[in-house]
Amino acid sequence: MKKYFANIWGTITTLKTGMGITWRHMINIKKDNVTLQYPEERWPRPERDIGFEHEDYNVIRSRLHVDIDDCIGCLKCERACPVDCIKIDTIKAPTRGEDIPDIGHTGVTENGTNKALVVSRFTIDMSECCYCNLCVYPCPEECIYMVGGPNSPKHPIDYEFSEFNRKDLIYEFSKPLTSEQKSELMNPKPDAEA
Amino acid sequence: MTVDALMNWFAKLGDFPELAFILAVLICAVPVFLFIALYALVAIYGELKISSFMQDKVGPMGQGVGLHAGKWGLLQPVADALKLILKEDIIPTSADKKLFILAPFIVFIGAFIAFAALPFNQNLIIADMNIGIFYILAVSSLGVIGLIMAGWSSNNKWSLYGAMRSAAQIVSYEIPAALSIIAVIMLTGTLSMQGIIQHQSGFVWGILPNWIIFQNPFTFVAFFIFFISGLAECNRTPFDIPEAESELVAGAFTEYSGMRYAFFFLSEYANMFIVSGIAVTAFLGGWQSPIPGIFTSPAWGLWWFMSKAMFLIFVMIWFRWTFPRLRVDQLMNVCWKGFTPIAMVNIFGVGIWHLMLG
Amino acid sequence: MGVVQGDQMVLNIGPQHPSTHGVLRLQVRTDGEIVSEIKPYIGYLHRCFEKHCENVTYEQVIPFTDRCDYIASMNNNFGYVVTMEELMEIKVPERVEYIRVIMAELNRIASHLLALGTYGLDVGAFTPFLYMFRDRERILDIFELTCGARLLYNYMWVGGVSHDLPKDFERICIGFLDYFEPKIKEYNDLLTHNKIFLERTADVGVLPPDVAISFGVSGPNLRGSGVKWDVRKDEPYSIYDRFEFEIPLGEGEFGTVGDSFDRYWVRVCEMKESIKIIRQAIKNLPDGDVFQTIPKKIRPPKGSIYRRTESPRGDLGYYIISDGSPKPFRVKMRSPAFTALSSLSEIAQGWMLSDVIAILGSLDIVLGEIDR
Repeated sequence: MKKYFANIWGTITTLKTGMGITWRHMINIKKDNVTLQYPEERWPRPERDIGFEHEDYNVIRSRLHVDIDDCIGCLKCERACPVDCIKIDTIKAPTRGEDIPDIGHTGVTENGTNKALVVSRFTIDMSECCYCNLCVYPCPEECIYMVGGPNSPKHPIDYEFSEFNRKDLIYEFSKPLTSEQKSELMNPKPDAEA
Repeated sequence: MTVDALMNWFAKLGDFPELAFILAVLICAVPVFLFIALYALVAIYGELKISSFMQDKVGPMGQGVGLHAGKWGLLQPVADALKLILKEDIIPTSADKKLFILAPFIVFIGAFIAFAALPFNQNLIIADMNIGIFYILAVSSLGVIGLIMAGWSSNNKWSLYGAMRSAAQIVSYEIPAALSIIAVIMLTGTLSMQGIIQHQSGFVWGILPNWIIFQNPFTFVAFFIFFISGLAECNRTPFDIPEAESELVAGAFTEYSGMRYAFFFLSEYANMFIVSGIAVTAFLGGWQSPIPGIFTSPAWGLWWFMSKAMFLIFVMIWFRWTFPRLRVDQLMNVCWKGFTPIAMVNIFGVGIWHLMLG
Repeated sequence: MGVVQGDQMVLNIGPQHPSTHGVLRLQVRTDGEIVSEIKPYIGYLHRCFEKHCENVTYEQVIPFTDRCDYIASMNNNFGYVVTMEELMEIKVPERVEYIRVIMAELNRIASHLLALGTYGLDVGAFTPFLYMFRDRERILDIFELTCGARLLYNYMWVGGVSHDLPKDFERICIGFLDYFEPKIKEYNDLLTHNKIFLERTADVGVLPPDVAISFGVSGPNLRGSGVKWDVRKDEPYSIYDRFEFEIPLGEGEFGTVGDSFDRYWVRVCEMKESIKIIRQAIKNLPDGDVFQTIPKKIRPPKGSIYRRTESPRGDLGYYIISDGSPKPFRVKMRSPAFTALSSLSEIAQGWMLSDVIAILGSLDIVLGEIDR
């Protein structure tokens, strides 16, 4: 009998405690509120560099970006990718380390490396990307990196890259080449050598 | 605005008693239906907002119409209702079509006709029957039949579970609820809703309202028993096992969609109002003002009734977002080993207290 | 008088069901509310993790370990890198060890928060679930600050970590712990000590110690049965032997030892112990270069190794065979949630349908890890 009433008493007190907690949360909603009204307000991204010299090497893993002028086409990132979402095609450049203004090819990277290859295709399928960051570290020229977040001037806050078409998620970074330009690069005219 | 008044008025126009009766009932039924729909919108909005506030979020919000749900999300319940109305109404091929279609309306009717005896203020009662409270208790259990029909006709195992659970639960919890109402009837000596409220007029020592809940300690307990049994009757947490979403997906309503589901939804909220309405009438003085001497006009009477009922509905919402749910056998234990004996003892207690001190 | 035998009904719980914690199908045979037989069917989330590992290089395996137990990715990374480092005989810098322990313990708290929250949801309490998600969010913010990802980190690498800690990490992390510690009491008041919750969990789904051991159950589920076994203490890996912490055990406070409540309660206590470990680790955090010992090329010597670590769900083991090439010959993951699920049919038999859901929740399974 004593147990019976102790049981009832325990029920009442513990339920009262729980109700007190929800009540306190309800009246303190102004203070405790954690909701962000999404389209108007955005989640704040942490601001930080991670020690790379390049200021765009932000810690946010939002989306991959390639500075194609610095890319030497070494395929290291393509090999590092566990899901094979990076696709690179290269064509041997006519002259090592020389600009080709017609197709917007720069011959020398920011680090001063002479480029031997023209990158004719550099696509990243962001719908396949698993954001593992593994492609960033092998790059000898530090030209592929994750962007987004307030530190990045190019992409301010960038975590909602939705598209209407799935094909739009395949990012093309290389300079557009027409097929004539391509065939010209592949079969250099003998007089260009001379 | 009672049915009787309307019928008297029709009687003056001519001698057509049957037609007058039907007309009078229809004229009363339409506003009640509108009231339930409007009240359900308010209650849904309240549920959304209160639950959100308890969970450290703000609930539906927005600046305008369109993609947003209006200022403070006020249009959210309207949007919900529109969505339910416009949704495709799916009837499973293996369902028993007639029962499947009929079930939501029976559940709703059970809740709907109980409104006939709720006294909103001194005059605003559709039918002030001499057995008012008995009538409400009787018709509000009609919903069980609808739930069983829904569960059985859906031809779904979850629905069947939900229906069986809710039938067992609602039928069991009728008993403590009725027993605690009996304590009230013993004090008032009448079954009429207005009569019960009239009994609670006046003040003790000029300050404490002479409500039944304050009249003696046993009725105080009886109020809680009635209220919690009422929770179980309208399947609210912690007794929401018939529609326990983590176990039974949606219980008896699993196969329902669109308008038919909306009717179940509506009747759940209507049931909440009925339970609160009975509790207010029987224990909290109905439309009587809690402050001596003032705010006693019929308009204020409506206000007092609604605010008391809404407070009890708020408590139901509060419960829902605080407690886990019981298991089906524990639910029965609470009913048969907890509430029923206490309610029985209460009847004796009320009687003895009334004889000694009343 | 014979035994009354009702009609039995076969019920499929899942693969689409609100509380199967992923995509799990439980085929239960019920007699009314009583469940007489349970058969879990798994494989709905099978992604060929182990076969896939044979076709990628060693460092490319790490993102896939993230995706096995997606609730506690750090711990999965941790197990893999500890195993690889032992195979390659790499000694990582002190700072890396401390960072790894901090991250693993933070993720343990996050994982337990999710487990407790969804357990509350399974028994019908909605509000604690959202409170716990709110606090888990703060841990994810710390992870995002550190490595840029919120759920699948790929943070721990063989021989180091992918990013050093941010500048004021210590302050932020201590700030979180100070915020979080009082919250545990609130959860206890709201959920743990709630009478309805106790009724639902105490004495329900008792997993006796001998059954637990025979099924190979590990982690909080085993400790809930009162068996003192924690890889962090009994086979210390990394630097866990340097920290002072207790191993909470199920004591059957409100029912029998090994019931659902004990498994729940062990997780609550483990969060407190994790806080202790993090505080000690932050206090002693040394300086150093975290990229120092990352090998240029991962090409382990021929051989095989099995090493287990303590993930939030139990003994997480990796068995790796190397044939000397840059790709593993075989990677086998010993999943703690798999053994926990296999014990379900034993302990949940004869309980009611609602209890089966509650017991399943108390085992804290993650289907990503079971199916791999």
